[in-house]
Amino acid sequence: MRRRLRPHRTYLANDSFTHHPSEFERRATVLVFLTRRLLTFIPTLLLVSAICFAVIQLQPGSFTDRYLEDPRFSREAVARINAQLGLDRSPVEQYGRWIWGIVTRGDFGFSFFANRPVASMIGERLAWTVVIALVTLLFAWIVAVPLGIYTALKRNGFTDAVASFVGYVGLAVPDFLVALLLVAMVLAYGGTNVGGLFSPRFIGESWTWAKFVDMLDHLWIPILAIGTGGVATIMRQMRANLLDVLDADYVRTARAKGVSEHRVTMRHAVRTAINPLVSMAGLQLPELINGTIIASIVLNLPTIGPLLYSSLLAKDQYVAMTLLLFASLLLMIGNLLADLALAWVDPRIRYG
Amino acid sequence: MQTTLRQGLARTIAVLVVGALVFGSAAFAQPKTVSYPGLDIESGQSGGAMTMVLGDSPPRFFYYGEISTVSQTLSQQMFDSLVEFDLENYELVPGLAESWEISDDGTVYTFHLREGVTWHDGTDFTADDVIFTYEQIITNPEARAGDAAQFTFTVDGESRPVTFEAVDDMTVRMTLPAAAPAFLLQQRFFIMPKHVLLPFSVEGGAAPADINNAWPTDVDPSLVVGTGPFRLTSYTPGQLVRLERNPDYWKVDEAGTPLPYLERLDYLIVPGTDAQVAQFLAGNLDQLNISGAQFPDFMTRSLAGADFDVVQSPALFGSPPHLAFNFDAADAELAELFSNVEFRRAMELAVDRMRVIDDVYNGLAEIPGTPTAPANAAFYEDTTGLMGEYDLAAAATALDELGLTDTDGDGVRNISAGRALEFTLTYGNDSPAFTDIATILQNDFAEIGVRVNLQGIQASQLLGTGLSGDYEAIVVALGNQPDPELRKPIWQPGGSLYYWHRSTQPADTGEAPNFDAMADWERRIYEIFDRGSVETDADDRAELYREWQRLNAENVPVIMIAKPANVAAVYDHIGNFVYSLGVIPGYNPVPLYFRR
Repeated sequence: MRRRLRPHRTYLANDSFTHHPSEFERRATVLVFLTRRLLTFIPTLLLVSAICFAVIQLQPGSFTDRYLEDPRFSREAVARINAQLGLDRSPVEQYGRWIWGIVTRGDFGFSFFANRPVASMIGERLAWTVVIALVTLLFAWIVAVPLGIYTALKRNGFTDAVASFVGYVGLAVPDFLVALLLVAMVLAYGGTNVGGLFSPRFIGESWTWAKFVDMLDHLWIPILAIGTGGVATIMRQMRANLLDVLDADYVRTARAKGVSEHRVTMRHAVRTAINPLVSMAGLQLPELINGTIIASIVLNLPTIGPLLYSSLLAKDQYVAMTLLLFASLLLMIGNLLADLALAWVDPRIRYG
Repeated sequence: MQTTLRQGLARTIAVLVVGALVFGSAAFAQPKTVSYPGLDIESGQSGGAMTMVLGDSPPRFFYYGEISTVSQTLSQQMFDSLVEFDLENYELVPGLAESWEISDDGTVYTFHLREGVTWHDGTDFTADDVIFTYEQIITNPEARAGDAAQFTFTVDGESRPVTFEAVDDMTVRMTLPAAAPAFLLQQRFFIMPKHVLLPFSVEGGAAPADINNAWPTDVDPSLVVGTGPFRLTSYTPGQLVRLERNPDYWKVDEAGTPLPYLERLDYLIVPGTDAQVAQFLAGNLDQLNISGAQFPDFMTRSLAGADFDVVQSPALFGSPPHLAFNFDAADAELAELFSNVEFRRAMELAVDRMRVIDDVYNGLAEIPGTPTAPANAAFYEDTTGLMGEYDLAAAATALDELGLTDTDGDGVRNISAGRALEFTLTYGNDSPAFTDIATILQNDFAEIGVRVNLQGIQASQLLGTGLSGDYEAIVVALGNQPDPELRKPIWQPGGSLYYWHRSTQPADTGEAPNFDAMADWERRIYEIFDRGSVETDADDRAELYREWQRLNAENVPVIMIAKPANVAAVYDHIGNFVYSLGVIPGYNPVPLYFRR
C-alpha cells in the first residue's frame, strides 16, 4: 500500500533555463491539472465498484443464510425478504440501481442488516475513526521524525542500531499482534482497559474530566499498536533522506562557509530531507479505513474497519461496497493531496 | 385482517360496557409473585448495575424487524409475552396473560390479560395491543422477523388463518382452524405497543413492509416502549446499550419486593470470544456465558482465588453438534453408501462420544438424545442403549460385512475396485470445538480404514452449505427446543431444513414432499410429526415423539455427537444467577439478578 513512486511529476535537470510562469499561468495550470485528475477519478471509481460488486457476488452463501437456524425460518419468509431487499433481481440490475441512486440522489443504498441508509451508519462511526487515525498519525510523526534525524546524525552508533532494530521489528510485527500483546500485558498487571475506548460506566455519559482521563487510559493501546508500524516506516524514510542530503554538495558548501553544524543540519539538510515525507502523509489517508481493520476488531474500537469486516462476512453488500468505494476515493484524494503538497514545498516540481 | 368499521364499533361498545362494569373496582395492578423453590433463589436487594455482553451491535430495536440474536437478547428485557417459561422446569406459566382457557376441541384459546400493566410511557396495556401485535405485525408476511407461517393452517388442502378477537378490554380470543397442541408454547411472542407502532402498520395506513422500519438504532430511546422489566435509556453505536429499571414492572419476589432488583443493565458490545474473555477477566463484564473448552482456564483462576465463580447446568436449549452424511451426495457411489442404514450404524460405532465430551468439552457435556435434550423431561426418550458404544473393532467388522474391504492393500477400504472409501468432511474452522471434533473423527475413521479429507468453512456458513447440498459429510449443530413441533422443519423428512436427505423435499414450496425418496422409517417419522402437530392428548403426543427418537436411534439419519452443558462465569457480587442463553423468548432470569 505504501507507494513512494511519484507519478505525474517531471523533474527538470536544470531549472534555471526554464520559463518562469506568471502567477496567473501558474493558477491556470493548477486548475487544469486538478480538473484532469478529478475526472480520472470517475472511471476508476466505477471500475472499483464493479469489481467489488462482482467479488461480493462470487462469495458463497447469501445474506439470508443468517436466518436459517431460527425457528421462524421458512422458505416463504426468505423469498419475501429477498424481494424486499431487491435480491431477487439480477446482479446487473442490482448494481445498476445502486450506481444510479448514487449518481442521481447521492443515495448509497441501505444496510440489509440495519434497514437504514448506509450513509448514516458510516456517519455515526466516522468521528471516532478520524480521531483515532489522526492521533495515531500525529503520534507516529512526532516520534518518528526526530528519531529519524537523530539516527541519521549518529549513523552506525549504538542508538542507531537499537532504533533500526526496533524499527524493523515494528514493521514486521502486524498491528493486531501488538494489540493482543498489549491487552495481555494490561490484563496480567490487573488493568481493566482491555479494549474499547471507555470503561462501560462512562459510555453514553456526557464528557467530564474523569471520562477524558478514562479515554486516554484506553486510547494509548490502539495508538501504540497501530502507530508502531508507521513510526518504523517514517523513521527509516527520514533517516535515509537525511543521509542522502547530508552528503550533498550544498551542505558541504554551507559547512565550508563556516555555518554552525546545528544550523547546517536544521536549516539546510532537514528542510530538504523532509520534503518527500509530505507525500507519505497523503498516502496514509486511506489507512483511516482499511489499514487498521484487524487491530480495530481485536481492540473493539467503534470505527469503520469492523463495520467493513462484518458487512463483508454477512454479504451486507451496499455497506461493503460503499466503504470500499470510500476507501478508494480516499486513496485517490490522498495521492492528489500528496502531489499538490509536494509541488507546494518543492519548487522543482511542475504540474504535468 | 384489518379492523373493519363494524369490528371497531363493536369493540367500542364492548369497551364501554366493560368499562361501566369494572369502573372503580378492578383497576389495580395485579403483581405476580415469582418463586422457584428448586433454584436456590434468595430475596435480593434493589439497586446497583450489572454489565453483560452483546456479540454484535443491534441491527434495530424492533424485534420483528430483523431476525437477530442481539435484538432478541435486548427485547427479552424490554418486552413481555402472553406466556413464559418457568425457569425451573420449562413449563408454561402466566406472563401478560394471567390465565387462559383452551376449548375441549383444542381450537379456541382465550387469554385473560393481566390488569394494571402499563407501557413504559405510562399508557395502559390492553387487549388492543395484543390484537395489534398479532394481526399487524406477527402475521404480516412482510415483517422480516414475523411468523406468519405459524398462523396459517392447511386444513383439507385449504389454507386457513388463525383469527384474533378482543372479547373485551382484557380478554383475547384466538380461534384456530384445527387443534394445535404446541400453539400455546408459541405464544411467547413479545407484545408491542399499538399506540406507538400504529403509524408503521397497515392499519395505520403504511405499506406492509414499512413495519420493518420501526425503531432503527438511531431512534429516540423514549419511543422504544415495552412492558418489560427494563427500558431503553441510550445506545452508543458499536459500544454499549444501556437499560434502566422499569419501576412499574408487574413482578414481585416472595418478600413482596418489586422486580427487577437491578437499577441499571448495561450491554457492552464486544465481538469475538477472546475479547469477551479479556473484558470479563478485567472486570468490565459481570457475567459471561462460556464454552466447555474455556472451562479449565476459568476454573483454575476461580480456584486460585479470583472473585468469580464458574457455574454449569444441563442444557435444554443450545445446539448439540451432529455428523451428517449426504444421502444425495453428488457422487453416486457415496450417495448409495450414505443412504445405507448399515453404513451409518457402522460409522456411529467409530464416533467416540466420551472422548469428545472429555477432551473437547472438558466433561461439560453429556451423551445427546436423538435429538431431544436429556434435560427435556416432557419428551426425552433415553436411546443411549440403541445408539451403541464406541468400538472400533465392531465398526471395522460391520464395514467388512458391507463388503467394504481393503482390496488394494493401501490401508484404505475400497468402495469398488480402484475406488478408495474416502470422503470430504466439512466443519466450521472458526469454532475450536468443531475443529477438534472433526480431527477426532478423522483420526478414528482412519483407524478403521476410512479416509476423511477435512474442509473447514465458517461456522455461520455450515447450515447454508448443508441446504445447498454441496458437501459429502458435515458437522453441524442445530438447536434443541422444548417441543419437537418447534423443530419440525429440521426433523420431519421433506422439511425445509431436512438437509441430509434433500431429495425428500417437495419440488415446490407448499406441495407434498417426495414420498418416493423416503425410506420406510422416514415415512413413519413424517407421519409422527403430522400427527404430533394435532394430537391433543399430551401422553399420546409424548409417546409419538418418543417413538420418533427410537426410530432416529435405530436408523441414524444423523449421528448425534454430544450435548454441551450450560457453562457461565459470574462474579461473586452478582446474586441469584440463573443461566440463560439470553435469546430464548420467555426464558428470562435477569429480573432476579441482584448486586450484593
